[in-house]
Order: sequence, then C-alpha cells, then structure tokens
Amino acid sequence: MPRLVLEIAHAPFGHENAYAGLFIAMGWVSVGNEGVVVLRGDGVYAGKKGQQDPFKEINLPPTEKQVRDVLETGGRVVADRRSLQSRGIGEDMLIEGVEVLGEEIRRLIIEQGERVLAL
Amino acid sequence: MVGKKTLGIMIMSAPFGSQYADHMCRVADRAIDMGYAVEVFLYGDAVHTQMNEQAPKLFFNVGEALKKLIDRGAIVNSCEICSVARGYIKGEKDGKKDYSSTKLIEGVRFTTIYGFVDMLARADKVISFGGS
Repeated sequence: MPRLVLEIAHAPFGHENAYAGLFIAMGWVSVGNEGVVVLRGDGVYAGKKGQQDPFKEINLPPTEKQVRDVLETGGRVVADRRSLQSRGIGEDMLIEGVEVLGEEIRRLIIEQGERVLAL
Repeated sequence: MVGKKTLGIMIMSAPFGSQYADHMCRVADRAIDMGYAVEVFLYGDAVHTQMNEQAPKLFFNVGEALKKLIDRGAIVNSCEICSVARGYIKGEKDGKKDYSSTKLIEGVRFTTIYGFVDMLARADKVISFGGS
C-alpha cells in the first residue's frame, strides 16, 4: 500500500496551506492509501478542537472537520510535542485521535515517508 | 515511459516572489537528463507558473522553463479549482474539459485532487517545493 507523509507547518484561517494539505491527505486516504499528517510549527493549530469561523470570513471548512475526516477514513494525524508546548497548546485541547509525538516524529517521517510533501 | 522511473513534483509557490519555481524547473530539467519521466502538479499560487508570456526583465523566466519542460516530455498538471479561483480558466471550460485560453502555456493540463493522488501513487520519487 503506497504511503505518504504530509507535513503541515502553517496555521489554518490565515493561510491556505493547512486546508490545502488536508485536502490532499483526505484524497489520499479515501482511496485506500496509507497516510500520516504531521502537524509541526504553526501547523499544530490545525489540530485544535473547537475551531469556528462564525463570521464566515474565509468560508472554508474548519480544518477540525478535515482532521476528523482523515482520522475517520483511516489516516493518522500526529502533532509535534515541542511545537504544542511552545504555543501553550495542551494535549487536551487537541481533536480526539490526534497523536502527540516528540523525537519519534523524525523517525516516523523517515520510516513512513515513501512520499513526503511539506506544506 | 515504460521502464522509466517517475519523479513526481508538487509546487505551491508562485514564480518571482520566491525562487521555488526556478528551482523546481531546474530540478525537473536535470531529472529528465537523468532519464526520469517527470510529472509536475501546480497547486495553490503555483498555478501562476502556467501564465503565458511571462516577461521578467531580470529574473529567471519560469514560463519559458516550463514550456521547455513540456517540450522535453514532462507532464504538467495544474489544480483545476486553484486555476478557476485565480481566473485562468473561468468560463472557458467545455464538456470535455478542454480549457483553451490565451492565458495558458500550451500543454498544461488540468486535474482534480484525485488526479494528483493518482500521480503521487505512481511516482517512484516525490519532491515538494514551496510549501513552507
């Protein structure tokens, strides 16, 4: 089964990349492929639960829904522990199912990264 | 392309604002020299790379480099939704998805995210540019 690691380093709402990356991840896992989304740097904000766009300013689906869709379709979503700590984001603030990894995240990228996309 | 290894490339940055597009074209060109079949996916702002008649006075001409890649056999796919959003193919689509436009470099094709997923799956190697 083809494997993909997709690293997201931008926060949602202010930038297109988190949305665009999760769009690819969903397409990838929805056809039966193995995929891991790595949230690093500001990308960890995409893993927060309780996201809203009450004023419909950008009118894109919250990345929370995309993350849940990827998880429900069999993909993995992991967040970098250091990136979370430096931004004051506790593990209890993450969407259920998002894994938190420390140094192991580097190993995961190398081992699972037959194909690696960085956004 | 039977027997050739395929290099898949995704790029997200527009030309000129950064050098990712230059670098992508040069890497793709070298990969063809090395015997790879090259497939490119233009995503997000990178769809501006497909604009015809780019005429930078000082910078590397990404449009000409992209034309050369297509002439050398590279497949250049562009994100359909991103291209519609940026006005490249609005209103010019027919039933066969033939997007003829003077704005576009000849030979650029359009695809959905699923077309890109297929490209990723069949590639032997994948490189992404300009995402971070």
